[in-house]
Amino acid sequence: MFRLTIEKSLNHLINANNIDLTHIDNKIVSFRVDEIDLTLFFLCLNSRIFVIDNQQNKKVDVSVTLSKASFLAIFKGASLEELVENEEIEINGSVNTAQQLANLLSSSSIDIEELISQYAGDIVAHQIGQAFRQIKKASVGNDGSIINTIKDEITTALIAPSRSKIFKGRA
Amino acid sequence: MAKTTHFGYKEVDVEKKQGLVKGVFDSVAGKYDLMNDVMSMGTHRLWKNYTISSSNVKEGDHVLDIAGGTGDLAIKFRKKVGPEGKVILSDINGSMLLEGRKNLLNHGVIDVDFVQANAESLPFEDNTFDCVSIAFGLRNVTHKDAALKQMHRVLKKGGTLLILEFSKVENKTLEKIYDLYSFNLIPKFGEFFANDEDSYQYLAESIRKHPDQETLKNMVLDAGFEFCEYHNLIGGIVALHKAIKA
Repeated sequence: MFRLTIEKSLNHLINANNIDLTHIDNKIVSFRVDEIDLTLFFLCLNSRIFVIDNQQNKKVDVSVTLSKASFLAIFKGASLEELVENEEIEINGSVNTAQQLANLLSSSSIDIEELISQYAGDIVAHQIGQAFRQIKKASVGNDGSIINTIKDEITTALIAPSRSKIFKGRA
Repeated sequence: MAKTTHFGYKEVDVEKKQGLVKGVFDSVAGKYDLMNDVMSMGTHRLWKNYTISSSNVKEGDHVLDIAGGTGDLAIKFRKKVGPEGKVILSDINGSMLLEGRKNLLNHGVIDVDFVQANAESLPFEDNTFDCVSIAFGLRNVTHKDAALKQMHRVLKKGGTLLILEFSKVENKTLEKIYDLYSFNLIPKFGEFFANDEDSYQYLAESIRKHPDQETLKNMVLDAGFEFCEYHNLIGGIVALHKAIKA
């Protein structure tokens, strides 16, 4: 839904304003936001933008690695060159091509903060699910009581989080 | 090429499958929309809306809806492409096309072209369409690989293929409930509402014989598409595969 929302907003903007995309035609630009484990691939073809989650081994023309704050700043019109100068983002490939796409993102009506919070919510849900699965797994082989295992885990998590299975393997 | 193929859980001669599928759809055509609403409890409308939302179709586009049946997608595509655009509803089955024509007229949609065609040999020139869709149709196609190659052929560069189809349920508990529902209740619904239990037994069986999400994705990529991803709906009961010709 995250990508679909961005894709729809960008294409609405392009169609409503007859925006010429020839300068980024047939190009793949990726944005990688490590903090929230998000990578978006923007592919421009047939006068429209596709937002995909996997470049399917195709060559990425421009890759942008940035923080969550810089990603939000782009949607508010921040210049990529300035962000590069301030060492807030890293760009491999043509800055000009990336800037063309950034201009589209900033001109769109995407409420990126809302989208990010939903996306982060998904991660929280995923982590809760993962923790629950770990607890369930841990209960098998002990005394078999899931309630006791949950109690023990909550106690461990509160007293010594580093020893808790809930947080195990999560740096 | 294999001499037999599946028709539901039965193994049949390859040449016979098309006729058998035709028999199913001749039988259900008149009650198709009603049965879709009953079986999916109306959610097929949401799945189709999601498909349209994902299509990236805009004014002026040319769209081909394969196995378009009663025309739900064609009606929605028609609105999106505007007066400069073009929508073709195709189906191999004449009875379904007739139902589609009636349905479109009932919705006041007259500017959709109808073409009776086999998805394995589409009668259109290369690079014609901006979007090709097939909703709940691919599993009935005998040679899916050939059909996917045809879809790739008729799409323009940058064109989108959308495959909405029943798929593999990911959650084991949901799968058990779904199995109980589809093998026990759906054929009974078919008998009650459409006086045709066998066709809906075929429906339940054909879903299980259809390739799962990853297999279908690989088939799409093998057909020549450069990008393909899928979105599970209701835990994988249905999946939307979206592919791009680059």
